[in-house]
Amino acid sequence: MKTLQLEFYKMKRRKVWLTMFALLSVQLLWGMWALRNPKDWELKSGWMALLYFLSLLNGIMVPAMMSVLASRLADIEHKGNSYKQLETLCRAGSLYHAKALCGCIIIAVLFTAQFAFFIALGYYLGYEGKPDVKYYLLSYILIFAGNLSLFLLQLALSMLFANQMIPLTAGLGGSMAALLLMFVTTYSFLPWGGNLSTALVRIEWNQDTGISSYFYRVFSPVETAAVVCVFLWIIIFYLAGRILFTRREA
Amino acid sequence: MVSRNLIETDNLTKQYGKIRCVNALHMRVPQGTVYGFLGPNGAGKSTTLKMILGLARPTAGSITLFGIPVKDKNRIRLLADTGSLIESPSYYGHLTGEENLHILRTLKGCPKKDVDEVLRIVRLSEARKKKVSHYSLGMKQRLGLASALLGFPKLLILDEPTNGLDPAGIQEMRELIRTLPSDYGITVVVSSHLLSEIDQMADHVGIIRKGELVYQDTLEALHSHARQQIALRTGQPASVISLLRREGIEVEKEEDYLLIPMLEDAQIARLCRLLLEQNIALYRIEKREKSLEDIFLSLTGKESSL
Repeated sequence: MKTLQLEFYKMKRRKVWLTMFALLSVQLLWGMWALRNPKDWELKSGWMALLYFLSLLNGIMVPAMMSVLASRLADIEHKGNSYKQLETLCRAGSLYHAKALCGCIIIAVLFTAQFAFFIALGYYLGYEGKPDVKYYLLSYILIFAGNLSLFLLQLALSMLFANQMIPLTAGLGGSMAALLLMFVTTYSFLPWGGNLSTALVRIEWNQDTGISSYFYRVFSPVETAAVVCVFLWIIIFYLAGRILFTRREA
Repeated sequence: MVSRNLIETDNLTKQYGKIRCVNALHMRVPQGTVYGFLGPNGAGKSTTLKMILGLARPTAGSITLFGIPVKDKNRIRLLADTGSLIESPSYYGHLTGEENLHILRTLKGCPKKDVDEVLRIVRLSEARKKKVSHYSLGMKQRLGLASALLGFPKLLILDEPTNGLDPAGIQEMRELIRTLPSDYGITVVVSSHLLSEIDQMADHVGIIRKGELVYQDTLEALHSHARQQIALRTGQPASVISLLRREGIEVEKEEDYLLIPMLEDAQIARLCRLLLEQNIALYRIEKREKSLEDIFLSLTGKESSL
């Protein structure tokens, strides 16, 4: 608990929250522009369309942000060479755990704010009915999990490499991979495919009418396995990162 | 009071691949002393100190801190009574000096007043609200020492603490280290590659060379090796040796010379007369001085830097 509190204390003047909320603002502006002036049929399926839009938006923008977040948290230790002092005061594993938990809380706050903003936007746009609590909650959990797995992968790289170009390049490469996957498949076992695999709403676009139909996705066994894989990545990346970090010498 | 060792290492060894950086080290740091850990660059000083602090895992051997063998499970508990400054100071540049110390204070669980006290000791009270990224190298080094002093631990491990300091800062740091055992009851291990530095600060010394501890004793004992001798060069060394022994004078042979302890002028005169009476040719009589530097070089090798 003490180490977790200190992680937030160390973030002072690092503008981590500002960076995260800048991303959120961009997403919100994008959403306001993309969903403006809805037609009647769009108002009817608005809440479903919003969930689809969120998955898409997160798939495009969030993976790169996860690498930035992990790098911001780990970099403060590399810059000041502080591991060798901290590790005489607390266990390396506890230090790693605090960083992971700190990032986890930031991500949770980020997506809570995102959902709150977009639900408010849905009401503002006059979508019919109310958001389906079950699907919104499930969607929140799956989006959170998908991006948490990416954050933990990036955290492991950022904690292990002093040169942050390495994890940031990996993060950027991963983001590109995530983007490409969206064009070719509906699921992926790759860590960067999490946002794709966990999307609960799918779209069907009628070329003749120009109308898009949204429906809740029915997961095939292989798609279900891809969702389970997201949770496995969380465990694997956390444990692998922690083990490698504690085994290295300061 | 029986003096005990705060640090004991037995057969401590560290190997990276095929290179053995530290080899079977038996280090003994008595309580209440300033222990100077002396050795040329790359001799294994930092690696040894890192192993003591648990930052590097020994390949073999054991470490005892405060009389308790260090295990992975009790390492952090034992180190709670230890402060350290290894290689370069650790800091968060975006935080102020005071905020940096707050982080360490929280982890160490020591009172807030300690922050004021250590800042005063290292003369950083004025700069406490300044971001550390704006500190000079010397100020960062002093902040590193303040961090190590937080909680006034029983044992302080300082690796080349005068690095980056200006001459006045070096002198000030040496003075401070020298007074820590008497003023705060802190035992200090300080490493350096400078003999003169250790000579000014320490009362015990360990000299490491290529990973091996080649000397360990009080500084006084090391000084006693730095004795003056008289060197004699003669045509009949065997006869002179037996004559000197008859006279009760210790003698050792070194190449063409016979080395005897420093004698009074009258004793030298008597010795010369005796040699003359026995028709022994005396070619040279010289005064030899073995300095601390000579001893250090003979222990660590001539290629070592001072």
